[in-house]
Amino acid sequence: MSAVRLRGARIGYGDVAVVQGVDLTVADGEAVAVLGSNGSGKTTLARGLLGLATVLGGEVEVLGAPVGRPRERGRIGYVPQRHTVSGAVPATVREVVGVGRLARLGPFGRLRPADRAAVQDAVAAVGLADRLGDPVASLSGGQQRRVLVARALAAEPELLVMDEPTAGVDAASQDALAAVLADVSATGTTLLVVTHETAALAGVLTRAVVVDHGRIAYDGPLAGAAADAGAGGHHHPEGTGLPPSRGYRQDQPRVTTDGGR
Amino acid sequence: MEVLEYDFMQRALLASLMVGLVAPAVGVFLVQRRLSLLGDGLGHVALTGVAIGVLTSTAPVGTALVAAVLGAVLIELVRARGRTSGDVALAVLFYGGIAGGVVLLSLAPRGQATNLEAYLFGAITTTTTADVAVFGVITVVVLGVVWLLGSRLYAVSDDEEYARAVGLPVLALNVVLAALVAATVVLSMRVVGLLLISALMIVPSAVAQQLARSFRQTVYLACAIGLVTSVAGTTASYYTGTPSGGTIVLLAIGLFLLATAVVALREATARRRHRRRAEVHAAHPHEHGAGCGHPAVPHGDHVDYHHDGHLHAPHRTGAGVHYDEHGEHAAPPAGTGGRA
Repeated sequence: MSAVRLRGARIGYGDVAVVQGVDLTVADGEAVAVLGSNGSGKTTLARGLLGLATVLGGEVEVLGAPVGRPRERGRIGYVPQRHTVSGAVPATVREVVGVGRLARLGPFGRLRPADRAAVQDAVAAVGLADRLGDPVASLSGGQQRRVLVARALAAEPELLVMDEPTAGVDAASQDALAAVLADVSATGTTLLVVTHETAALAGVLTRAVVVDHGRIAYDGPLAGAAADAGAGGHHHPEGTGLPPSRGYRQDQPRVTTDGGR
Repeated sequence: MEVLEYDFMQRALLASLMVGLVAPAVGVFLVQRRLSLLGDGLGHVALTGVAIGVLTSTAPVGTALVAAVLGAVLIELVRARGRTSGDVALAVLFYGGIAGGVVLLSLAPRGQATNLEAYLFGAITTTTTADVAVFGVITVVVLGVVWLLGSRLYAVSDDEEYARAVGLPVLALNVVLAALVAATVVLSMRVVGLLLISALMIVPSAVAQQLARSFRQTVYLACAIGLVTSVAGTTASYYTGTPSGGTIVLLAIGLFLLATAVVALREATARRRHRRRAEVHAAHPHEHGAGCGHPAVPHGDHVDYHHDGHLHAPHRTGAGVHYDEHGEHAAPPAGTGGRA
């Protein structure tokens, strides 16, 4: 079975298609980078798989079922692009990550000891084991992003979709994320990572899908996509202000930049 | 106590006890969802329900409940269709409800009890035994649903997009929450009045969220605050002769101001201390780093440097690097090359 299967997919918002004519099959257990410049449609493509953008035409199947139809719950993990945990009311790391388990439990199920253990494991995996009972608002921006990663991991998903997990995160946290994703990938979870830059996750992601103007411009090994990008095949029309992650890493080797505390 | 000698006051206190407990238990989710005014809008819709009850000589509590629940479901469906129009949908509901209520009440035949003020501002001492029974049922049902679905309601209120992505029944949960709000509105109608209902849902939560560390704590604390202010306000109104609704809400707002002041004071003190410590070490001769001579101590997601008996966390701001104090720690292990 394939984790993701798109045939002539048109995805967008309202009546406006952002992504058109996309054919894409991702096999179970693959680790795929979805690349593209701002506005290329890469995020819309991912959101279409999650039911957050509208499928306007073609076929979009996720884990064997068409998007939008009821499916077995709790099989998808999602890390949104949002940098921080919002919410007006305080919540602890344990509570936020606990939400990741809920979808698995059916409409009225409560967290059991096994679920609590999974929450603890997920929080430990992102290196925040000692902050389990702390309010999320007391964490730095980078740590809050890791809480959102832990929330997705707690679901023990078959398909994990992440939107720009490395953007605005310091080098140490990027490396930590790469290690976590390598572990997740090793358990057979399918990874789909929407990103600008692949340097930090190059050891984990093996296949690249480059989206350009709402269509797939490249689909093949990650190394090929990087070369393609280097030759100007994947452009950054507005991306001039972004330092490449390697340079960022060398400039600031000692200082954590993930927000004040 | 004198206040307990009268049957009408016993009923009033019982009603205020139930309202004080239930309104914040539902209100916390509205605050989390940044939909604090939903209760207000549904209160206005309930007025139309009250008017229909008066016109048809049915119990106004029942018709208000039906109208508020219908309004609640309607607004969730509108929000689900075009999510940006939620604000306008609320406004239409708001004004349509109160306009409908006023117009319909004016059509009531002469001689019919149409005490508009009693519904708008509450008339707790007119609570009948039958009302108390209905309120009891509403209280048990609302608290039961919150107990059963609380974690899911939290999930949807906290991050609707995530909940949708992982397959939680978002629309159903939103409708359930809106229905809970509607039920709470009707429950609170007698005690605080339709115009002040939202306050009893929101203000206790606004106090609690400043003091609590977790969502669960916030819910419990908000319920406790709601219970105390509701019962205390009702009792006070008996002695002062003021309307119960306004008295309760003013009491809750007083607590809110107090909590806000305490928290602001605490934060100002912490900031001052932070600045003082930062000044001490502003004249650092070097940036801490590998080989700077100060032992490095891993601390959570970063590295602290041991320096003069305390830990420094490098912390980059717009003005350059400064050092946060990260607590007194044990002396570094011998032989790490420290010159602290």
